[in-house]
Amino acid sequence: MIIMEDQDFDRLLKVCRIRLAEKEREAIKKDIDEVIAYFDTLESIDCSKYEPAYQPIEIPSRKRPDKIEAFKHAGKLLENSKIYRFFIVGPKV
Amino acid sequence: MTSSIKEFAKKDKPYDYYPRLLEELKKLNSKLNMFSNISDISSGFPFSVKDNICVNQVESTASSQILEGYVPPFDATAIERLRTAEFSFLGKTKMDEFGFGTFGINCKEHPRNPFDEKYVTGGSSAGSAAATAVLKYHVSIAESTGGSIACPAAFCGVVGFTPTYGLISRYGLIDYANSLDKIGIMARHSEDIRYVFDKIKGSDQYDTTCIDHEIASKTAEKLVIIDQLMKGVDDKVLSSFDKLLSRLENMGHKVAHESVPFIEKAIPAYYIISMAEASTNLARYTGFKYGLKINDFSKGYNEFFTEARSSFGPEAKRRVALGTFVRSASVKSKYYEKALRLRRMLIESLNGVLKDGLIISPTMPIKVPKISEAEGLDPVQIYGMDSITAPPNLSGLPHVSFPYDYVDGLPLGAQLITSHFNDYALLDFTERWEKQFEYRFKYNVGAL
Amino acid sequence: MRIGLEVHVALPTKSKLFCSCSADAQEPNTAICPICLGFPGSKPMLNEEALHSSLNIANALHCKINKNTYFLRKVYFYPDLPKSYQITQLDGCVGLGGYVQLEKKKVRIRRVQIEEDPAKIIREDDYCLLDFNRSGIPLNEIVTEPDIESEEELREFVNELRSILYYAGVDIDKEMKADLNISLGTERVEIKNVTGIKNLIDATRYESKRQSELLSHNQNIKKETRSYSAESMSTVSSREKETDEEYGFIYEPDLAVYNTDGIGVLKPQIVSDIAKGYAEKYAASKETLKELVMFDKESLRLLEYGVERSKIGTVISAISLLKRTGSTSMSNDNFGKMLEYMNKGMLLNEDTIKALEQNRKVEVEKGAVSSEEIDKAIKELISQRPDLVKEYKTNPKAFNFIVGIILKRYKVSPKYVSERLAEALR
Repeated sequence: MIIMEDQDFDRLLKVCRIRLAEKEREAIKKDIDEVIAYFDTLESIDCSKYEPAYQPIEIPSRKRPDKIEAFKHAGKLLENSKIYRFFIVGPKV
Repeated sequence: MTSSIKEFAKKDKPYDYYPRLLEELKKLNSKLNMFSNISDISSGFPFSVKDNICVNQVESTASSQILEGYVPPFDATAIERLRTAEFSFLGKTKMDEFGFGTFGINCKEHPRNPFDEKYVTGGSSAGSAAATAVLKYHVSIAESTGGSIACPAAFCGVVGFTPTYGLISRYGLIDYANSLDKIGIMARHSEDIRYVFDKIKGSDQYDTTCIDHEIASKTAEKLVIIDQLMKGVDDKVLSSFDKLLSRLENMGHKVAHESVPFIEKAIPAYYIISMAEASTNLARYTGFKYGLKINDFSKGYNEFFTEARSSFGPEAKRRVALGTFVRSASVKSKYYEKALRLRRMLIESLNGVLKDGLIISPTMPIKVPKISEAEGLDPVQIYGMDSITAPPNLSGLPHVSFPYDYVDGLPLGAQLITSHFNDYALLDFTERWEKQFEYRFKYNVGAL
Repeated sequence: MRIGLEVHVALPTKSKLFCSCSADAQEPNTAICPICLGFPGSKPMLNEEALHSSLNIANALHCKINKNTYFLRKVYFYPDLPKSYQITQLDGCVGLGGYVQLEKKKVRIRRVQIEEDPAKIIREDDYCLLDFNRSGIPLNEIVTEPDIESEEELREFVNELRSILYYAGVDIDKEMKADLNISLGTERVEIKNVTGIKNLIDATRYESKRQSELLSHNQNIKKETRSYSAESMSTVSSREKETDEEYGFIYEPDLAVYNTDGIGVLKPQIVSDIAKGYAEKYAASKETLKELVMFDKESLRLLEYGVERSKIGTVISAISLLKRTGSTSMSNDNFGKMLEYMNKGMLLNEDTIKALEQNRKVEVEKGAVSSEEIDKAIKELISQRPDLVKEYKTNPKAFNFIVGIILKRYKVSPKYVSERLAEALR
């Protein structure tokens, strides 16, 4: 069962920055086709009169006041990163 | 005694209680792989924490290689609230990577069922359930997205409680699917669950979706079987479940059968929403700010990120790709939006059923499978195992799984669902049940 | 030529959009926390002030305010984006369908939305440097329809928009960033990330020239994204994003749907309308009035107070004088007094204006001098000291000496005295 064309699958992987070795690619491609076919079983149901439920319960419009409160352990946040002159080093763009 | 917390407080402990407890636990852990790390506690009632919940200064990886080395500088709100004199953090428990799994086998050195090591623990809160089945005095802070508390609780023979969505703050929870994730509790006694639940629930300035709400305990004598949920349930499980129903009828309950249209579609709807959200949550793992690090910055960022993300396990890769697909512009209304509408539809129909009754069923459609059996299943078969746990999880409905029988030396669990914010009704029920039925355990580490 | 803009300005808040870190920190990576770094486990909580000020902006741009506003995740990969998704808005944005009125046309506003700023990124040869102080700063994005048709209209639009933003509380001294789409033919060219108004105008000028040259040579204009370089004052095709991103918007499930019903918005101030009204009513120069008040709330207050009580010419002179002397705290009452003096032909210098601001009545009385009195004093001095006049004819430096004598008696503007003396000596 092929649901997704190879080139679409490759583009999808590129969009989510996932690279698969050839063998893994075949296996996962097959799984994904099967899962999408499974998802397609929703097609027959008409639930258009229901509004999307973004969350399962009503969430009140809670906001925070515009107050500054410094994070207590800010130093610890940078322990995991490479630092150069107070900047976090990241990959080349 | 129906509360191990109270019992523990009353009992005298020998001077070497904690060192011996830790020694015994560590020994057993090398066999059962319940914990990814164990803290040297020396006081208090021990609690364990699923590895996707942040504990200040303790490596928290959600059992993913990509988060190895992530040491959060903060406690999850639930953990902060539980850290009082009477509770001590014992360790992080293993899980399916990021919560992606039904059997607890999607991680390195996965946990094994304490009743029999050849069998799975269930997942994704695998280590939490196994630890609860092993430790006499202990509770575990676990998490469920689509059944990750009920399933392992059932397979390991403990009580697993998943509250109404939004009652326990998710601040500090490493997200799987934000509109589905619920922190919950596992224990050997329902009274302990109630005690811990009351300590950690309630609104939090760091989680918008966490709310204060009055929690009811409207008990119902009517127990509802949703016929569609029973389809595909293993015969042995069914016959055992029938015995449970008879016992419950003897306790004064009335059993009714009802139907909820399209309830079987809760599984695809659940997987669509959870994968869509998960694929955005996992986008942040790019290999330079926390967890796994790629050292060669001179690669272009696309290459750099792709290399980091190759350390996701196969199920994580599948879900990221599928989740990215179902929310892509051309098919979004067909999958993502439709699943959200279906969720609303199912919530409404389930609310109708739950108005005057509790929904009861086996927790899982099968007996505890062997690890080798679980490994042989393909994704669609595995997702199908969530047929009974997916509906309440998709709908944010509180549910509990409790042990009700032992077949071939392995436990069976039943699941009870109630309406939003009627959480106490579940614990009232299981507390009554525990007066009739004694849970069995193979290990009682830390017994006094 | 058709130009559409996506303008980004920082919302005036003390803390960031979704966390309590300062929105105004200097040293790199000092205003950071698990939330604006996107650490696993962290969650956003909306800053109410950001929502309120965005509502004010949308309202001032005549937008329809969404009764329920909500956020989306826009997924793309770049090192400056901590979660690899930006929390932003689209359909459920704060405001939809407004406009900015220019002299001769309306520029339609498609939408006004809130979003989080990514980190600041510095590109180096083999790596990049990131400052997450900027990550999570609340931005307001204003998207126009492609209704701007000339460089003049672009200038006028930007000026109007800045004034509206200023009166809605936005700090317009902070950089304004814009994405610009511009089409002379049928294909749209997008120019990303143009910083500052001068660059915006220059980029437009370059791009319209480039496109019209292509058209005059019967060449096709390619639909593409370009970037503007301020150094070369030109745009170049940008190939930075190799992968075409699939944003895959989903609802942001960590936030709520925010009801805007109960939130009061400021009465919008469209100052060019106000200036126009006064110009017509009192027959004054609209341009002069606009220049005084477009970006100055204090001056607008004084103008509104003054025109009820005095000739508009005097009010304009008085406000101009206050701007020149750097006055910032003139109350309405004292401004009324100032107008009285000026209407009587009295002169006020910087010290006297300060005394007026601070209610030091005696000094004001002493300091305020009529122009006739100055003229009289100059005349007297000239007739009493013919020696000085004689010296002035051979030595121009003596002029300043005479001015000094007058200034010793009257604390008025040296410039004014110089002018009057020059005339008297002629």
